[in-house]
Amino acid sequence: MDDDVSSAATVLGLDNIPLELPVAGAGSRALSAALDYLIVGILTILWGAGCLALGIAAGVGWWALGLFLVGFFVIEYGYFAGVEIAREGQTFGKWALGLRVVTRDGARPGTAALLLRNAVRSVDLIVGVPLMATDALARRLGDRLAGTLVIHTHAPARETVARRTPRGWDAQDAALLEMFLRRAPDMDVWRAHRLAEQLLETIQADDPEFAAGIDRARDPIENLRQLVEGGAA
Amino acid sequence: MDYPRFVRLRAAVWDGFEEKLRAAQRRPRQVRHDDLETMAFAYRQVLHDHALVASRFPGTGAAVRLRRLALQGTHWLHRDTKDHMPGLREFFGTRFPLAFRAHALHLVAAVALFSTALVFGAALAIVQPGAGTVLLGRGAVEDMRRGHLWTESLVSTVPPAVSSSGIATNNMSVAMTGWAGGAALGLGALYVILLNGFLLGLILATTLHYGMAGALLEFVSAHGPLEITLILTTAAAGLGMGHALVAAEDEPRRVILARAGREALIVLAGCLPWFVVLGLVEAIVSPAPGVPAGLKLALGLGLETTFLLLAWNPRLR
Repeated sequence: MDDDVSSAATVLGLDNIPLELPVAGAGSRALSAALDYLIVGILTILWGAGCLALGIAAGVGWWALGLFLVGFFVIEYGYFAGVEIAREGQTFGKWALGLRVVTRDGARPGTAALLLRNAVRSVDLIVGVPLMATDALARRLGDRLAGTLVIHTHAPARETVARRTPRGWDAQDAALLEMFLRRAPDMDVWRAHRLAEQLLETIQADDPEFAAGIDRARDPIENLRQLVEGGAA
Repeated sequence: MDYPRFVRLRAAVWDGFEEKLRAAQRRPRQVRHDDLETMAFAYRQVLHDHALVASRFPGTGAAVRLRRLALQGTHWLHRDTKDHMPGLREFFGTRFPLAFRAHALHLVAAVALFSTALVFGAALAIVQPGAGTVLLGRGAVEDMRRGHLWTESLVSTVPPAVSSSGIATNNMSVAMTGWAGGAALGLGALYVILLNGFLLGLILATTLHYGMAGALLEFVSAHGPLEITLILTTAAAGLGMGHALVAAEDEPRRVILARAGREALIVLAGCLPWFVVLGLVEAIVSPAPGVPAGLKLALGLGLETTFLLLAWNPRLR
């Protein structure tokens, strides 16, 4: 299962099929906001440096200052809404942490919703975290007004789906094996290898015919992956 | 049916859907109608498989993958269609006037509160003239004693390019603070309304005390009426959001809130461009000694009337 999901909201999708939205908690959202404010700071400095260079090079210091004030205002108020509109509900901070803004139904929010949720950001800087911490759907004020949620997006890279299992194994056994293969890259190498070898021995004992393809010279984790994911039954 | 057999049977559909979805996410403009239909059909199959796997084979890799595909498909294929973005003509001709009218009562309340705070500020300055010194500073008061307003420095210290952009962005920030603060149970909007009313009353009475009220009124006549109207209008829209938070009607609160938020946003969007015009007027026309007071007043009244006509749009039924 997804270990980073703080809570889930269930909505009814097409044909009344329940769909779980993996709601992002206050911690990951605060971290993504911190990254975004860092970007806003860098953009402001770059804009300031650009205006300063323009003012010196063209000898239009006052005009450059005026330009800086306008640009600063646009960056300060426009970054979050602008980037979320342009990138389908993901600022760069959200993208880095695998978060995305969706409607309460899991759909793409419209432009007005994205504008609205960011227009009250100044108030959310004060009340946002307490509101998120006390709400099951971790909604800040802007989310409540715009009818949006922030959810975790999933990276498919580590997904493992077993197409073959040893004779006698049920779905729960398969789930255990798949979970091990998903988590193996995060484990200590020696521990992961030992567990993989234990699993291979269990497979050998349960279904020797199935285990015929095991190549003992290879990495045991790769062996396991090859056994359950590759080839036809 | 056992789990691996089910996976082998259905994996091609999931793979195909994922491939099409990835291509569509990369190049949304190149998605043809046929692709969309195929994707929609596969999405439905993925959703059904997701429901089946979630109940028959929970916790498996297929359940994880199908949940991800169902979420991604829902996100890509469904869009919140309530948020149709209008063109400029539709926005200023219909949407903005309707939203402005919807906030008429909040605007009346905002004007009443502003007026009360103004009277209070003026009364304080009359009873305690030192209050004006605290607010404006000793230098500004000394200038007034010598017959000069502090506003003259607007043209003597910085050129209009800087002052207009500074004034416009500052006024927009104030308006947005009042508007957004309204969402916090209306408290932020109340703060902006009361503070602006109080300060204006205090400043007016202080300048009156030093015989400079005429000069101040001449200075503000070109931009003041509309500036106050805009700040009160955006704050009234904020009050609308606060009102929806504390006093929901017979619909679910989230529905009321979402509607109030969208209407308030329309009011804000309709007001913000005027601050750019006001920034230019305040930086160039208001402090210019060469522009007659009558012309400044005419400009101020003209701007105010134009805004109110556009905001109310009497032709709209």
